[in-house]
Amino acid sequence: MSAPPAALPFGVLLRVFLRSLFLQASWNPKGMQNLGLAYAVYPALAALYPQGPAREEAVRRHLVFFNTHPYVAAAIVGGVINHEERIARGEETPDKVVAFKAALMGPLAALGDGFFWLSLKPATGAVSAALVPLLGVWAVPLFLVLYNLVHLLLRVRLYWLGLTLGDRLVEAVARANLPARGARLRAVAAASAGGVAAWLAVSFGANAGGLYAPLLAAGCLALGVASYVLVSRRVPNYVVLYVAAGLACVAGAFL
Amino acid sequence: MSVVWTQVALAGLWGGLVALERKAFLQAMMSRPLVAATVMGALLDDVASGLAIGMLLELFFLGTANLGAALPENDTLAATGTSAAAATLSAATGAGSTPAIWSIAVLLFIGLGRVGRKGDRLLEGYTARLARVALASAEAGNITRAMRQNLWGMWPHFAVYGTLTALCALLGFFIEPLLQALPPVVVRGLAWAWPAMASVAAAIAAQGSHARRAPLFAGLGAAVVTASVVCVLLLEDR
Repeated sequence: MSAPPAALPFGVLLRVFLRSLFLQASWNPKGMQNLGLAYAVYPALAALYPQGPAREEAVRRHLVFFNTHPYVAAAIVGGVINHEERIARGEETPDKVVAFKAALMGPLAALGDGFFWLSLKPATGAVSAALVPLLGVWAVPLFLVLYNLVHLLLRVRLYWLGLTLGDRLVEAVARANLPARGARLRAVAAASAGGVAAWLAVSFGANAGGLYAPLLAAGCLALGVASYVLVSRRVPNYVVLYVAAGLACVAGAFL
Repeated sequence: MSVVWTQVALAGLWGGLVALERKAFLQAMMSRPLVAATVMGALLDDVASGLAIGMLLELFFLGTANLGAALPENDTLAATGTSAAAATLSAATGAGSTPAIWSIAVLLFIGLGRVGRKGDRLLEGYTARLARVALASAEAGNITRAMRQNLWGMWPHFAVYGTLTALCALLGFFIEPLLQALPPVVVRGLAWAWPAMASVAAAIAAQGSHARRAPLFAGLGAAVVTASVVCVLLLEDR
């Protein structure tokens, strides 16, 4: 049996990162991202363990339940490789990597959901939608650049932190202070949504109203405020949308 | 009415690709309504429809998120289906895209978000089977087969949502006679429904922003924009 390499080649690390982009390809209710994780780390396992029972055992320990946020999973993927390198060198037992994944996937999922899904995505989406009247179709590439600048840089950074720090990546992630940044982004999302509502109301009044312009603009704004209140009181979004469309249809037909 | 089959095929291709990007690969937000609908509009030679519908649906679905095992509505299918139908409908009329066409498309196709969620749930049965095959293969020592299962999970998303989007594009051509039969007052009403629905979508976006003091921030944003637009309009009148 040949000895494991002292450090995995850059090509293998790159392949693992690229394969981690397919983490959710076979998301399933039982193991969730288990197939995706095993698929991602397989090139590293193939380099660390010779073909046979050792490699099969290594693959099997990554086919157990796994679920976290798909972006911050990069940190866990990096950490898994860090642990597997040590396991292959005989410096630690295989249960360490299983415990590492189990300990981190929940907290990192909460962190990723809170920052990416509930803050960055709404903020960049709302800002870009609000800029459509000014930028037209250029709001679309702006949205992609704003979002992916943060998304891809953090994804690469987290993978690198996992690779180099292993268990200690938690402190590094904590220092990024993502929850506080997320709160600021959510405020930006709300302000942008309010701004676009106002723009729609005023421009509608200006375009359709003539003498009634201020009334129509005020009516459109009032519709937005009423919708906010109704949705806050758990009236389904679709009901609010169809009622508003119906009211506007009647108004447009008879005014 | 004549169906342009290349448009139907393009709609299906783009619908399938963004369905993959949404769930299975990368998740770089190509599948967000603003992007997916605008590109759909560009592919079907009607950027205006795509951008308008993308903006509305981006706001309407702003607060949805895929948290844990919970499945949100499929905003991507709603965006690709609605924008494809709007683009083919406006192509069939031959008069270009109008707010009335956007309103009809949104009112008829926005429910695809819920259809897509049901589809996502059904597809989980297939991926569960792949997971069982992968585990059995790993137990039997066939690691290569086990790893391959991960990629097999992608094609149903492409096929199912691509087909549904193509059907929406096709339906757009068939709706055109109905639009022509509508009395002018109803068409005018539908044109007014557009800004009303967009306002509602913006209010839903403010509510779905998850900000702690969302009404305050939304009110501030609205006040700044209203003041700015009114100032610009007054200056233009001088």
